[in-house]
Amino acid sequence: MSDIKYLETHEWYLMKDDEITVGISDFAQNELGDIVYVTLPEVGQEFEKGTAVVEVEATKTVADAYAPMDCIITAVNSRLENEPETINNDPCGDGWMFKAKVNTVDDSGMSYQEYETFVS
Amino acid sequence: MDKKTTQLHKYHLSQKAKFIDFGDWSMPFSYEGTLKEHDIVRSSSGFFDVSHMGRLEIQYSQIEKITKLICSEIIDIPTNKALYSIFTNTDGNALDDVIFWKFDDKIILIPNASNLEKIKSHLVSHNVEFIDKSPDTVLIAVQGPDTIELIQDRFEIPDKFSTNMTESFLYARTGYTGEDGVEIMANNEDAESLLIFLTEKGVKPCGLGSRDTLRLEASLPLYGFELTEDITPVEASLNWTITNKNEYLGSDRINDQLSGESHKVLKKFIINSRKIARTETVGIAGETKGLVTSGNFSPVLNKSIGFILFENMPSHDLIEFDIRGNLIEGNIVNKRFLS
Repeated sequence: MSDIKYLETHEWYLMKDDEITVGISDFAQNELGDIVYVTLPEVGQEFEKGTAVVEVEATKTVADAYAPMDCIITAVNSRLENEPETINNDPCGDGWMFKAKVNTVDDSGMSYQEYETFVS
Repeated sequence: MDKKTTQLHKYHLSQKAKFIDFGDWSMPFSYEGTLKEHDIVRSSSGFFDVSHMGRLEIQYSQIEKITKLICSEIIDIPTNKALYSIFTNTDGNALDDVIFWKFDDKIILIPNASNLEKIKSHLVSHNVEFIDKSPDTVLIAVQGPDTIELIQDRFEIPDKFSTNMTESFLYARTGYTGEDGVEIMANNEDAESLLIFLTEKGVKPCGLGSRDTLRLEASLPLYGFELTEDITPVEASLNWTITNKNEYLGSDRINDQLSGESHKVLKKFIINSRKIARTETVGIAGETKGLVTSGNFSPVLNKSIGFILFENMPSHDLIEFDIRGNLIEGNIVNKRFLS
């Protein structure tokens, strides 16, 4: 848990070597309410930091999850295609959205404590 | 400005409800989650605090004046019946869609929360006398297939779309979910015992989130989205409400539209995906452009559904939506979403 970092746009990422795993925070899933659909990227797609990677449809609203840094998609969580509610149930675990190889490292995300202060 | 809360706000806080701003009101959005509450109402029984809506008490002597303001016949329907109708303006457009509960000695008029003050002013300007009972009462909608069985030892159940009363409660077998159930008006001092009764029976609190997915799945319009002051009952495909044979505000225009004059058309659609075409999404059917008025996920159909307002009658059933830059196909449906 302690290595997970958070962005002001409510994504979390976990960096291991030059690969990141990305999802949305518990706060974000709670704000969105029931998630019914996600549009996942393709493996090999390239994203710049701050651009929209995943579109999250909830009954209340629709929101994007953004790339935490410049990266190329290496894996997507295909379980979310049929069970998008996994994000509500386990946002920082089974509800991860994609893994990506980092092009430009920018490990400036907030710690859990900093993020908790940010959203409170 | 602080948002208004209903008389049951403390209860909602105690149940750890999530709240949402709805016009001037802060209302429960959900307790256990919108989809769970949707399922509760479709499979057992749930209750909604809808005390933000208006409750106006009107004496029978006023009924001749009311009949000049709405598109439905109200005088000839039996007492102890409920009536869904629309207040129209001089252009025949919808000022509000409302429910009337007819009792032996009076009528209860239930306007939408956002239109309560407008309807009160409208009634005053047409010399209709009323008493606003909204501050002194609560309104609770109990909905779902198990509702009648659960509450019948305390409430004598009227026929569908009919009203009844006890010493403490006025109620009608009406609702906004497509399920059987009752809507109960209680004096503030009787509200707590009603809540205790319902929760002891296992009826679960539900919020506006599921109320919206339920009403959409039940093909029911929502004022502010499908209905506005820019649409007539004909354009909103609510011809079945137009039963008033006499002259009423805007009846000339409504009759012209019924006689074939070209007009806007509200249609329902299904998208064979969970991707939601939300309010103001553009949809094109053939050459005809439309704008989505409401769109959401239908838990029962496991598809995305909604209403779309076309500039005129579309010649094709296939709609191409532009959902945030992606073209997604949907189909016009003329039947109800749920059979």
